[in-house]
Amino acid sequence: MKNISKLFLAVFATVVIISCQKEDEIGPNDKNSLSIEFDNRIGDQKLVLGSTKAKNALGEEFTVTKLNYFVSNITLKNENGEIVKFPNDYFLVRQSEANSLIITLKDVPAANYTELAYTIGVDSLKSISDVSQRTGVLDPASYGTDNMYWSWNSGYIFFKMEGTSPAIPANNMMGMTQYELHIGGFGGRTAVTPNNLKTLKFTLAEAATVRKDIAPEIHIINDVTKVFSAKNKISIATSYMIHAPAAGTVIAENYAQSFIVDHVHNDKE
Amino acid sequence: MKLKILTLSFSSVVYLGVACKSDNSQDISPDQLFAVPANFPNPVYDFSKNPITQDGFELGRQLFYDGDLSRDGTISCAECHSQPSAFTHHGHDVSHGIDNLRGIRNAPPIQNLAFQKEFFWDGGVFDLDLFPIAPIENPVEMDEKLGNVLEKLRKKEKYATLFQKAYGSKEITTERFLKALSQFMNSLVSANSRYDKYVRKEVGGTLTEEELAGREIFKQKCASCHSGELFTDQSYRNNGLAVYNAEDIGRARITQNPKDNYKFKVPSLRNVAITAPYMHDGRFYTLEAVLRHYNESVLDVQTLDASLKDGQKLGIQTATDEQTKLIAFLKTLTDDEFLKNKRFAAP
Repeated sequence: MKNISKLFLAVFATVVIISCQKEDEIGPNDKNSLSIEFDNRIGDQKLVLGSTKAKNALGEEFTVTKLNYFVSNITLKNENGEIVKFPNDYFLVRQSEANSLIITLKDVPAANYTELAYTIGVDSLKSISDVSQRTGVLDPASYGTDNMYWSWNSGYIFFKMEGTSPAIPANNMMGMTQYELHIGGFGGRTAVTPNNLKTLKFTLAEAATVRKDIAPEIHIINDVTKVFSAKNKISIATSYMIHAPAAGTVIAENYAQSFIVDHVHNDKE
Repeated sequence: MKLKILTLSFSSVVYLGVACKSDNSQDISPDQLFAVPANFPNPVYDFSKNPITQDGFELGRQLFYDGDLSRDGTISCAECHSQPSAFTHHGHDVSHGIDNLRGIRNAPPIQNLAFQKEFFWDGGVFDLDLFPIAPIENPVEMDEKLGNVLEKLRKKEKYATLFQKAYGSKEITTERFLKALSQFMNSLVSANSRYDKYVRKEVGGTLTEEELAGREIFKQKCASCHSGELFTDQSYRNNGLAVYNAEDIGRARITQNPKDNYKFKVPSLRNVAITAPYMHDGRFYTLEAVLRHYNESVLDVQTLDASLKDGQKLGIQTATDEQTKLIAFLKTLTDDEFLKNKRFAAP
């Protein structure tokens, strides 16, 4: 009896140990997906397009009616310093499309990822690529009336934010009733032009642990009030229409700082 | 030279109807889709990504002449780019687009685009394949969305057949649509003017004494910018025009560099005699007016091209008889075979 219980204990312990090991074990061929949620906010409020009101650093009240941006060139670095790149994954985040707010990388090798980086925009190589490579969210035919491509100055609009504000001068020259911030500019193909590509890097306080049975989700908060104030104080009264790369640089410098990693979910499937 | 031979041999493999020619005296017969004229530089366009085929060319031609590329079906590419005027909008300083709206620039000819590295007066588009999106989506030109255009084409039975023939399946995609237009536009090569035949020593290539004298004056006074066989160095320059529209800052609109303010692309002079009016905004209705500008009204503006202020007087001075000779020479650049080639006409 004693022996049997000893044996039972031993077996039990072994099972526990094996299963514990299994949980942490990173099989060389294990893969899973990893998602990034873009939680666009307006200060400490939920961003509801056309509704939520907030003030920028200069005290100008505004709403957001449109918010779109490209996310590309995502890289993940694991605790051993190994980098995984996703050069062919281009995402277009549109606040008006709930499905677009969570982006998913497929077949991510199992590892503990402690760093994340991504570019807001479409890199220069893709921006000059043959039209055969412009499919999915990069297809200029896919934007309808909410355009993300400059046909007159070949290139994508990396980041677009529009909205209302009482600060916009009445009877302004351009007849604008909304502010329009359209930021693009990949540096030019045949001439040097402004480059507003921004690559954002984050250290994950809590690693994203991709396992055979764990598909982590990194939760990112993007506070759009910072688009007006993170580095450069932007006045809507004077900068209500930005449609060209040079003028957009101050905005790009701002949104480069408007994103933070809030937390990581490592829930088992 | 080696490159040219390579291109030529490449051409003969890829392009339908291009006969192999071992000598350099290559003239383009009307049934060829594309070939590099013997006196031309190498093409800029990467044909390996979009070789011209007879069916692709035909699809492109149908699209070029189709009003459904515009919002209300009224404006095709050919509206502002008409063949008898070397695919310009003859007689219009700026073109009338949809709803009779006007743009701010003069429609340039569509010719020899395969040799051009950038498009528009300001060079804002760097790839011919990406070009058509601009007029299609410009609110004063065709005012349509590319996606809608493709939807409309998908509903027309004719295009199911044409896309099938050109690409092997009926599927209509952005790439297929744009590349078919490129195939048609790339085939629009103008290289059979009397001048061309003269330099290639071909039959019909005789220039009069006056035209030859004009050519000598041209070489001395014009060819530093209107250089080579394309008659442009494809640079952007300010030629001292009075600013009529301060907002149109030309090349600086793209580079956003104040040094490029009011600079516009040096246009090719091929078919120049029949592509009036002239300049980026079509302000001069005759070649005489252009030469008069260079003689007497070049302004000393901030970004004025250095070549226009190296003499005692600003601009380029020509005597009356020199002007007559110059214009006689420029008229030898008119390519009637190109202007009347039925293969480029409305289907």
